Amino acid sequence: MSESNTDVNTGSAAPARKEPRHLRRALIIWAVLSVIGIAVWLVVAPFILPSADSTLDSTDDFTIVLLTVLAMPVAMFVFVFLGYSLFAFRVKDRPTEDGVPLQPRPSLQIGWLGITGALCLFLLIWGLFASYQETATASSNTLVVRVSGQQWLWSFDYPQYGVSSQSQVIELPVNRPVQFVVTSEDVLHGFAIRELGVRIDANPGEVTTTSVETPTKIGNYAVNCVELCGLYHSYMWEAVNVVDKASFNSWILSQGGHL
Amino acid sequence: MSSTTVATARRPNLINSLFPSVVSGIVLGVIGAAIAGVIVNAATHGGNQDATVSAVFTGWLLFFFVGIGAFNGVVKWGFARRDATPAEELQLAGQGQGLWRYFRFTTDHKVVGMQYLATVLVLFFVGSMGAFLIRLEQSTPGAIYFNPATYNTIVGMHGILMIVAAIIMVSGPFGNFILPIMIGARDMAFPRLNALSYWLLFSAIPIFLSTLALGGFQTGWTGYAPLAVQGLTPGMDAYCFTIIVFGVSITLAAMNIVTTVLVMRTKGMTWGRLPIFVWGVVLSVILGLTAFPTFIMSQVMVLMDRVFQTSFFVASYGGSNWLYEHLFWFMGHPEVYVIALPAMAVAAEVTAVFTRKPLFGYRLLIGSLVGISVLSVIVWGHHLYLSGSENGLAAPFMLDTELISIPTGVFFLVLIGTLWRGRIWVTVPMLFVMGMLVNFVIGGITGIFLADLPTNEILHGGMFVTAHFHFTLVGSMVFGFFAGFYYWFPKMLGRRLDTTLGQFHFWLFEIGFLGTFLSLFYAGLLGEPRWSANIAPPFATANLIASLFTILIAASVFVLVYNVVITLVRGELATSNEWGAKTLEWTVPTPVPLENFEHLPEVKSLPYDYGSPVPAAERGVPATEGGVAGAPLQAKPQVES
Repeated sequence: MSESNTDVNTGSAAPARKEPRHLRRALIIWAVLSVIGIAVWLVVAPFILPSADSTLDSTDDFTIVLLTVLAMPVAMFVFVFLGYSLFAFRVKDRPTEDGVPLQPRPSLQIGWLGITGALCLFLLIWGLFASYQETATASSNTLVVRVSGQQWLWSFDYPQYGVSSQSQVIELPVNRPVQFVVTSEDVLHGFAIRELGVRIDANPGEVTTTSVETPTKIGNYAVNCVELCGLYHSYMWEAVNVVDKASFNSWILSQGGHL
Repeated sequence: MSSTTVATARRPNLINSLFPSVVSGIVLGVIGAAIAGVIVNAATHGGNQDATVSAVFTGWLLFFFVGIGAFNGVVKWGFARRDATPAEELQLAGQGQGLWRYFRFTTDHKVVGMQYLATVLVLFFVGSMGAFLIRLEQSTPGAIYFNPATYNTIVGMHGILMIVAAIIMVSGPFGNFILPIMIGARDMAFPRLNALSYWLLFSAIPIFLSTLALGGFQTGWTGYAPLAVQGLTPGMDAYCFTIIVFGVSITLAAMNIVTTVLVMRTKGMTWGRLPIFVWGVVLSVILGLTAFPTFIMSQVMVLMDRVFQTSFFVASYGGSNWLYEHLFWFMGHPEVYVIALPAMAVAAEVTAVFTRKPLFGYRLLIGSLVGISVLSVIVWGHHLYLSGSENGLAAPFMLDTELISIPTGVFFLVLIGTLWRGRIWVTVPMLFVMGMLVNFVIGGITGIFLADLPTNEILHGGMFVTAHFHFTLVGSMVFGFFAGFYYWFPKMLGRRLDTTLGQFHFWLFEIGFLGTFLSLFYAGLLGEPRWSANIAPPFATANLIASLFTILIAASVFVLVYNVVITLVRGELATSNEWGAKTLEWTVPTPVPLENFEHLPEVKSLPYDYGSPVPAAERGVPATEGGVAGAPLQAKPQVES
């Protein structure tokens, strides 16, 4: 009996009385809260997300904002229907009669699958599109920085300038494309600069190249290791300064390089 | 119960009750470990610590199982070439052995279920203490309370204890105790294998804890090689052995559960009438069978790298860390769904009972669970988006990961549809289901962020990941476990847990949980790396807030402990059908007799036919509160034959 696809089996339902239009009410609350939620997120997002200081990171941050906007109605749907059910259909004690034996209509099943499927498809397309956008090819003035992780420090080479930096600070010129060539001496490390949207594993015995990106703001950042690499993993940070072209040139010279 | 009185025929004396039991197992195990250690240490002239430690563990395992009597049957019946008599089987199942049967190689599925339940609760308790230590360390910048080596060991132990506990938390206790009764069986298909799978788990615990004496391990729960190979202390060997033994244990348990459901269902229990919980457990353990062998293999390889200086994972000799990462995540991601499927099924089971409604789309939900288990086998690559290996497969992995959100969405549809216009009786199990739904939405949606390439690029390896998987594993699945725990406790232990304390437990847990991990999401968005003893100043505030909220979770743990202890000491006795549910386990008396059913029942419908035209009284739903125990059994449409 319960397997039959009945919509509402009125046989055993509560004695007929004027039922409030639950579905419509819940849908209205859902729509209103979703709009409010999206609006609040759009206002708050710039304060929550760290500033995006490179071409790459601004795409990434925009994706976070976009996905959250999409997620808001989905989450609100669950919250509102859950809350509304609790509010409207709660019984105080052990129920003495059964609930209304609803079964989903085929249209609801297809609609639900369709909507979630469409959201997935969008996510896939957006993800591919955004990551394709991020794979720019190196141009002639791309700065190449060789990064090597070892327990528990980073070392950086600038092969175009003959600089091998062992100092705790490295510098990058603003508005110039940069590409990191990353490897590791011993175990797996993770090379990451959050605000510049750089993140790639440093594998022992393999050399990995990041996509080309351009720092767009002068500022001070940190390189973090984001793969557990042993004892002093959490001490494996170094400073990265994005500076203007003149200071970068003088820093290169101070490190014993040539221009 | 058909009365065979073999067990009481011989007067039990101390030797008879101690051997075989866990006591003799431990004694022989320690002796065996010592002998094996001395021999190998002498053979290698003390030069290979890892070999010695491996020998100690192997000796412990072999002799523990000799001591606990796991091989007795092989000698008695295997070599004698005869089957065990029914009387011998009943004695193996613990007939007439009182509480002592919980400490022996007992084959009764209910005993095994209780052993699993106790183990899960202890593992959760110890694991949560690790979590509080982690939050303590992360409450301020700098490694203040622990040195980084200790911290890494705590993180790794917390991770493994919790993952192991979460993998077995539903399929172990409820899958062993409840599931056979639910399908109308007298025991599991392979009772002695069932006991073996539990005691393998038990024997892995001392091995795991020995890592503390052996210098700990630095790799966290993922045990990434080559860091694991490089690890200088033999504490890493303890990790590898634990995983191998646990992997064998869970593989045996999984085979047993699958076989039980395939062949032991009672008359009329068709696949289309199986309670959803059984579906969830079966799909979960099938998924586990595909996933765990690679994990066992990866740890065997790490051990070989460590003990015999092979180089599966050492780059300078031609090995690759990517090999380890693939082997690990081929287990690592399906394993999340091994945890999720039964917990989701518990939530559905509980919701139907406490709304007094049929599941909103029983077949739809089965389809969704099947979909999840199939899709999740091939998502592991999303852990390697940024590994630097060839990412031509990034797009298919991303597609597959995002496809999983479709069946997961169906789960939400089914649960919300079941709640809709039900008679929602908000008991403690129901509270946990509600909490689960809230947390699972957040956990699921943040999973999308990690699955999408552009956002993964800034979130990978960070606190966002930590917060995400705690939302799914703890906030969703452990909440699902607790729904099942409060739901089945009266059936398993025969006593009622205190409702007020249960509500306290829930609210402290939920509020503390949301506070802790929402702040960690924020820290993750800022870019905080995972596994940090020494957190950087920019993330200090978010971490401090998270640590403060953890106090609430800690309080909830102790509320639960108090509730369980006080209930065991002087709780009210539970009735046989505590909640007015219709699945078969509620038709048998509490406490459940040794072979469950006097006569095997015949099933004629789904256990969710609430709201059907048959008058409520006739279906055993009591008209007034209190009139529960009665005789729902006789009056039900699904009567025994």
